Amino acid sequence: MHITCEVAALFSARATTIARGVIIAGLTLIVLIPAMAMGWVRTPWARGEHHTVVQPIAFDHRIHVTGLRIDCRYCHADAERTASAGLPSTKKCVACHSQTWMSTSVMAPIRRSLETGRPIAWARVTQLPDFVYFDHAIHVGRGVGCETCHGRVDRMATAEQVVPLTMSWCLDCHRNPGPRLRPLTEITTMGYTHSPSDTSGVRLVGQGDRIRRLTDCTACHR
Amino acid sequence: MSRRVEQPEVNLEFPPGAADPPEWVSRRDFLTLLGAGAAMAAGACMRRPDKPILPYVEAPADVVPGMPLYYATAMPLDGYATGVLVRSNTGRPTKIEGNPDHPASLGASGALEQASLLELYDPHRAEAMRVGRRRATWDAFAAAFAPAALSRRVGARGAGLRVLMPPTTSPLTASLLGRLGEAYPDARTHFFAPLASSARIAAARTSLGAALVPQYDFRAADVVVALDADILATGPFHLRYAREWADRRRASPSAQLHVAEPTPSPTGTLAARRLGATWSAVAAIATALVDAVHRDARSTGRVSGTTDASGGALTPDARAWVAAVAADLAAHAGHSIVVCGERQPSDVHVLTNALNDALGNVGTTVWYTPPAVLNDGGPDHDLSALATELRTGGVDTLVILDGNPCYGAPSDIELSRVVGAVHNTVYLGAYDDETARVSTWHLPAAHYLESWGDARAYDGTTSVIQPLIAPLHGGRTADEVLAVLAGQPNNSTHDLLRDAWNSARGQGAPTTESDWSEALRRGVVAGSAFARATPAVRGDAVAQARATVAARGVAREQIEIGFVPSHAVHDGRFADNGWLQELPDPVTKLTWDNAALMAPAMASRLGVATNDVVKLQVGDRALDTPVLVVPGHADGAVALAMGYGRQGGEAVARGVGVNANALRTSQAPHVAPSAAVSRTGRSHELALAQTHWAIEGRGSSIVGEDGEAQRSTASSVQPRKRRPLTLYEPKPPSRDGFGADQWAMVIDLDVCTGCSACVVACQAENNIPVVGKDGVMKSREMHWLRIDRYIDGPPDDPRFETQPMLCQHCEKAPCEYVCPVNATVHSEDGLNEMVYNRCVGTRFCSNNCPYKVRRFNWFDYNGEIAETERMAKNPEVTIRARGVMEKCTFCVQRIRDAQMASRLAGDPATGPVVTACQQSCPTQAIVFGSLTDPESEVSRQFGDPRSFSALDELGTVPRVRYLARRREADSSDSSGGRAR
Repeated sequence: MHITCEVAALFSARATTIARGVIIAGLTLIVLIPAMAMGWVRTPWARGEHHTVVQPIAFDHRIHVTGLRIDCRYCHADAERTASAGLPSTKKCVACHSQTWMSTSVMAPIRRSLETGRPIAWARVTQLPDFVYFDHAIHVGRGVGCETCHGRVDRMATAEQVVPLTMSWCLDCHRNPGPRLRPLTEITTMGYTHSPSDTSGVRLVGQGDRIRRLTDCTACHR
Repeated sequence: MSRRVEQPEVNLEFPPGAADPPEWVSRRDFLTLLGAGAAMAAGACMRRPDKPILPYVEAPADVVPGMPLYYATAMPLDGYATGVLVRSNTGRPTKIEGNPDHPASLGASGALEQASLLELYDPHRAEAMRVGRRRATWDAFAAAFAPAALSRRVGARGAGLRVLMPPTTSPLTASLLGRLGEAYPDARTHFFAPLASSARIAAARTSLGAALVPQYDFRAADVVVALDADILATGPFHLRYAREWADRRRASPSAQLHVAEPTPSPTGTLAARRLGATWSAVAAIATALVDAVHRDARSTGRVSGTTDASGGALTPDARAWVAAVAADLAAHAGHSIVVCGERQPSDVHVLTNALNDALGNVGTTVWYTPPAVLNDGGPDHDLSALATELRTGGVDTLVILDGNPCYGAPSDIELSRVVGAVHNTVYLGAYDDETARVSTWHLPAAHYLESWGDARAYDGTTSVIQPLIAPLHGGRTADEVLAVLAGQPNNSTHDLLRDAWNSARGQGAPTTESDWSEALRRGVVAGSAFARATPAVRGDAVAQARATVAARGVAREQIEIGFVPSHAVHDGRFADNGWLQELPDPVTKLTWDNAALMAPAMASRLGVATNDVVKLQVGDRALDTPVLVVPGHADGAVALAMGYGRQGGEAVARGVGVNANALRTSQAPHVAPSAAVSRTGRSHELALAQTHWAIEGRGSSIVGEDGEAQRSTASSVQPRKRRPLTLYEPKPPSRDGFGADQWAMVIDLDVCTGCSACVVACQAENNIPVVGKDGVMKSREMHWLRIDRYIDGPPDDPRFETQPMLCQHCEKAPCEYVCPVNATVHSEDGLNEMVYNRCVGTRFCSNNCPYKVRRFNWFDYNGEIAETERMAKNPEVTIRARGVMEKCTFCVQRIRDAQMASRLAGDPATGPVVTACQQSCPTQAIVFGSLTDPESEVSRQFGDPRSFSALDELGTVPRVRYLARRREADSSDSSGGRAR
């Protein structure tokens, strides 16, 4: 018995190639998209580094730090005392600026704040998640320089985040703080160079400080 | 088209309905939702929203953002002040702690004080002044009620003006009432609070010849007898009493507490000899005690075994209790205290005064002072007198200053109706409650954390109440309203206070500016306590009281209903407070409800069980109430907590429980002597935080006692201690071994009353949410620290065990082994850490925890709260989101702060760390510290022979240890009542 089938071809000759191509492309995408996403979060852009933050006032750290040599702690006065370094009150700005620049358009928000009694809404540059309890006082008090986390502020026209602020970045230092610490007299120094012979940081760690507990979760999360 | 033709064939091939669209979500809808969900999930991963930094315009002195400030103030409750220190985080009060300098606090704070913080931020507080249905302003009120305007209504002498307010101790209020009296000589002030009783002062008038209240020194007492008195957990001085009693008990373990009470109270659970006795039986017991002690005084120091004269009315158990207690009292004459509760009639207070007098306690452990409460006990100043006047007419204007009397008044007064009929009613109240609804004017009341004022403690010590925050809803104080009435509308309470104090120069009030500052700083005015008096008891008054009690007799066949304050909502004042509604009752573990508490024997006679609804009847008043069967309750007595069944506008309070005031009458406001209880056949499910009370023979493992076996052995317990099997020698904790500090906690069960102050303190400190009644019924309450209650032994005379249970911070923690994501790990200083940002919510840890102290966020409890409630949150503790496990952290935020502070100060040792629970504990039963310091209290107590670990046999090696309760061995003769 011989049966002849005369049905039109369901698939063209290229169908197999196309199917293979689609499968390979799909698999590649499945791998590639997460890979790209995982790659992206590891880039400085995803972490907010070098992101220009628009401030209500065009405050230039270069003028105040490099030009006028004002100590960081004059304006960020609570850095040695408590968790947040703090921003200067409007009155503190005015204390100097009543003599200079006060009538310029740049200072308009300060004048408005003084008149209305409403605070100046500064944009946050260095932002940590709410479940991280960072304390400025203990870091400044134990030899972590401002520069270590905030970078060369003396060269910044607008302040920006220059370090990753990821947990692994924090832990790099928490696991071995010694080489990154500096003498307490050099906390606000910009451009401080750690000389290999300087052991003051290591000494700070050793001062009965029990700093090994820095990798406990509750050192930062509570 | 062709398909329609083929329809019959389709029906043949596919089951019916296959061609119909799906009922729920179709495949397409599902894919749509999936895509939208994925897009939204991806969107949620964007850089978090930028929140601006807002520095001060002009930085206030002393305020450093991030450094909390503490202010001393005082919380008035039933008029009496309890000193508190309030933590303020940049202007927000966030935590209330006790003031060590205040006599009513001694550093501790109760559950009500702690939870009053949430009351401040309650979103249901009245927000606007109103008259009728219209909004009003304070100026409009001040204009309408200034003497010039008001005297036209109420007459020049104020004959038509009445003021109704809760009892007050405030010198400022007293002086303003004085000025009001000058402005309107015929106006009158009435005082009412649902729980207030004038029995104690009436008794002093008859038996001591003056209006006096007793004061006690429990530190000097070896035997304390409490007759229906919950001295350690209720009342204006209970924090002090608990502390003093605990100090005495620690110093002298033979010091004993004996309690006769109708319904088990925290005090009763700590008693060496506890007797369940109805309210009328307690009165008979007082008589029997007087007889026994008098006989003893006549004889040569020996007390006979029975008390015949008055003992006839007593059950054999009660007779045995009286004999044993009388013997104990006689053996410690001059070093004992007899206390009688507020609900007892004045005759029993007379007998109590007589007992203290006969025992020679007056002058050593007991003395008297004038009452701090203004005008207490005056019959023409009470609520019934006012209601009569209101009914007869002639009163045009009624000013109600807080207290919500239309809810709390006994039902026979029908105050809501009577007040509603008054032309012109002003109500100063925090809520749109029952009284506000029948009043013409409603002025929002300021919370005590928002107001200036003053108040006296129970011993007369004066405190200044200072505000921590401006009134959130424009609230006003009673003093400001009185100032308007007296014609001084423009004075702030602060100015009124300074004026009043300046005019009271030389009467204990601060005179100079520095005195004033010192009073504000310390929270008390030094030396302002009342002078002591030690009057003798009049014999005729005692004989009269004996005769009255004997004539009244003991209600054997009748059922008594006692109206007791709720440990949570007090008299209803805290009914809108979620923390307190969800706080389990110290004894019954009941939340979000009140119930008719009754003895097992009585319940079985009535044929009812827990959750069955019964009808309580007093005269022609009836109330349907669920039953809660409590072992150790007096047979024939029903206890019903007040403060529930609210009908006002408070969303939390509304509809929770039943209103006990419906059964109260002005003749019998505290105990209804003859009531009927009948079944209804209905049931109402109660939310009990602990439903199984029996300890199932595991006493030694759980509470360190062997139960029955213990009774026949020595009085000091020797709990078993086992070392866990291990291949490694455990390293002793040391500074050089594995860290500078090794944190640990010891809880002394011998002095733990179970008062639950620590539970609320923990809730406030650690931002613990409230889950509601449904949540509690599903065992989803979030308390990091709970108080376990075991009731074991014979149902009429059980043993009570109290055990605060929190994360044990096991050195070999079972939870840590099973977490798949390392979200719970051990720190070097011995903490079992919970890392919220790692937790994925598998709940394996909770399943593997033998102590069941881990709590899971089933819902986004914190995401649904009001804006004002967010202000109560402690900024030092993470707000947990849905799907995250949480548990006690040993207040790690306080530990880390103390460590950082001491390091910055150059001190290698960490300064003292006080956990929130420890801080609040009235008896200082909780000790926290580092084991690496051999001198620390916690190290010493860790080695105490009474110390044991809960479920020691599991080998978890907890860092929380308990000190087992000391119980007296059973005396050889059984006549002395069973010692426990």
